[in-house]
Amino acid sequence: MWRPFRFAWSGLAGRDGAARGPVFARLGPALVGLALGLLALWPALGPGFALRYDMVFVPEQPVRLPEGFPRAVPSDQVVALLSAVVPAEIVQKAILLGLFVLAASGAGALVGDALSPRAAHGDAGRDASGPGGTPLVGGGGARGPRGAGARRADGAGARALAPTGLGSGGTGVLVAPLAAAAFYAWNAYLAQRLLIGQWALLLGYAGLPWAVRAAARGGAARLAVALLPAAVGGFQAMLVSALTVLPVAALRGLPRRPGPESRGRATTVAGAGAGRGAHAGSRRGARARTVLSRGRQGVCRAWRRLRRFPGLRRHLGELHRRHVRSPGASPALSSVSSPGPSSVLSSVATPLAVVVVLSLPWLVPALVSTADAVADPAGVTAFAPRADGPFGTLGSLLTLGGIWNSHAAVPGQDMPALAAARLALTLVAIAGFVRLGSARLGSVRRPAWWRGLAVAACAGLLIACAGAFAPGVPRALIGWWAGFGPLRDGQAYVAPLALAQAMGVAVAVTALRAAMPAPVAVAALAVPVLVLPTFALGAFGRLGTAEYPEEWRRVQAVVNGDPAPGALLSLPWSAYRAFSWNGGRVVLDPATKMFSRPVVWNDALVVGAGGGRLIRVAEESPRARRVGALLAGPATAPLTGALRREGVRYVLAAGVDENTFLSRLPGATPVYRGAELLLVRV
Amino acid sequence: MLKVLAALAVGAALAGVASVAVVNVAAPTAEPPNKPLYNYGDR
Repeated sequence: MWRPFRFAWSGLAGRDGAARGPVFARLGPALVGLALGLLALWPALGPGFALRYDMVFVPEQPVRLPEGFPRAVPSDQVVALLSAVVPAEIVQKAILLGLFVLAASGAGALVGDALSPRAAHGDAGRDASGPGGTPLVGGGGARGPRGAGARRADGAGARALAPTGLGSGGTGVLVAPLAAAAFYAWNAYLAQRLLIGQWALLLGYAGLPWAVRAAARGGAARLAVALLPAAVGGFQAMLVSALTVLPVAALRGLPRRPGPESRGRATTVAGAGAGRGAHAGSRRGARARTVLSRGRQGVCRAWRRLRRFPGLRRHLGELHRRHVRSPGASPALSSVSSPGPSSVLSSVATPLAVVVVLSLPWLVPALVSTADAVADPAGVTAFAPRADGPFGTLGSLLTLGGIWNSHAAVPGQDMPALAAARLALTLVAIAGFVRLGSARLGSVRRPAWWRGLAVAACAGLLIACAGAFAPGVPRALIGWWAGFGPLRDGQAYVAPLALAQAMGVAVAVTALRAAMPAPVAVAALAVPVLVLPTFALGAFGRLGTAEYPEEWRRVQAVVNGDPAPGALLSLPWSAYRAFSWNGGRVVLDPATKMFSRPVVWNDALVVGAGGGRLIRVAEESPRARRVGALLAGPATAPLTGALRREGVRYVLAAGVDENTFLSRLPGATPVYRGAELLLVRV
Repeated sequence: MLKVLAALAVGAALAGVASVAVVNVAAPTAEPPNKPLYNYGDR
């Protein structure tokens, strides 16, 4: 076997897990993310900028605060600062590729915590060692030399010690994070939001697993670091993260419901806590001791139930033993030591404070601007989720699709066979997630983040469904207060459901590994790609690169080199363009980001609703509303004086027919006239 | 053995469907025309 491949395979399959398993557990998900990112972004990684819908990167972007609602704050400012050091197109490619790596590594880390934190950090080999220190295969030996793993090694050991490391828990604990990583970095949500260019939202999506992990573990500094990508992303990324992080922080401390399994878990974990003396006060310890015997009975009952699934029991039970034995068991996995429901508010206070502080860059301008900005309730109808497959809107949302814009759907996404495969994968993933939190798993503890993530996933799905099935609710809220405006694009809040499904996929692959040979479980890593294959290669050309024509750079130099104050008015009076030099891909007007002075542009949005019907979502910027009214006046009415009174110094008209606009600006001076652009000083 | 065969069959079916989807999508399609004005999108 080719040497690199052999190394990779042995790492995946768990052979020599003590040495290589930890490396793959840490780096494997990130490498999966990198590979999937390269596959998805390949055409967008060439020279030039990838420009599509809201994804607008420009060369030498200046640092400037926008007018109106701060939708691109602080993402634009961060990009501008980075572009001062590194070329903007490199910054864009690094961000896009980083999204995949961050998302995949986070999902892998989260599932690694849930299923095998110690295995991921080198205990696999130690736990799996026999008396003589010889590593048994994977985790099977953790049951001791007389366990089933040892029997397999002693007996027909040829199979147990096969080069692939079959018959071990090691494969499961290594493949499960990879499966979660693959699913979280390759699904309809990520694909559609990428195709509509919302990379800033995807920063929040990519950082979500890390944020959940940090919220479950506690600590303001840890959470702040984990939320940094979302903080850079801005309002939508932070809202999606807050929707997830706050329930996780609130519910990580809730005691489990009374039941035999939970009593058993309470006993074992409290025992471990007492052993290391790290947590559990004396009152809690005493209570734990009183349920010791009942807990033992509960564990035994759980084991008996799991006899029907010997393979799964082997894997999960071995992992459980590692948790209980390990003195450094992650607090993210211990819910018994956490406070009760009475302190839910105090649990939320710190994460809420972190979220608010990190949101200040956009929150302050938003609160200031909402005094005169308007959020049009018509946006609810325009941006409601839609069915992008044969299973209706709900089916689309459950399979993480359903974005409002049909042009943002992955090509071929509506093929019935593929949609059915995605739905089947979704059902398996949801079942796996439910099983992860179910007492039926017996000896494996429910992760501390499970309840919160479940609540966030349901809440996100409800918000998304509201736009489609009860649009009156978000419409009334937005009409009451413009601050509810972000609710109009409800599908964005499906992100926690994607994370929950990724965790469920990991559980399913663990079960698959328990029932089947390792190659089948490893092959299952490809399933997320197989059910959405046309996301590859930039969704087959939907993502690509383009160079700005030279005249854009010249106009930029002229305008940014002028020290005189005054805004720039960008025409034609529409937010989106389809330039031939960009392959006809629709993109937000680049002028909105290219200049160091305020830019007046039409931030009204026009959405086709089928049958030639258009939904118009009104402007949010007050100055845009006033200038729009001016432009809508008689076609021959002069505008120079009125534009000067609005503080406009330059008018930039893009498009071959826009030179006719010059006739409406008597007294203005053309500064630049090119094939595509006309720049006029008013 | 039966489980493995079933898994292989499912995998082969998935790969087949994925291939069909890729072939369909990879076929050349008309690019949208050059437009100075454009909707944000269509539902």
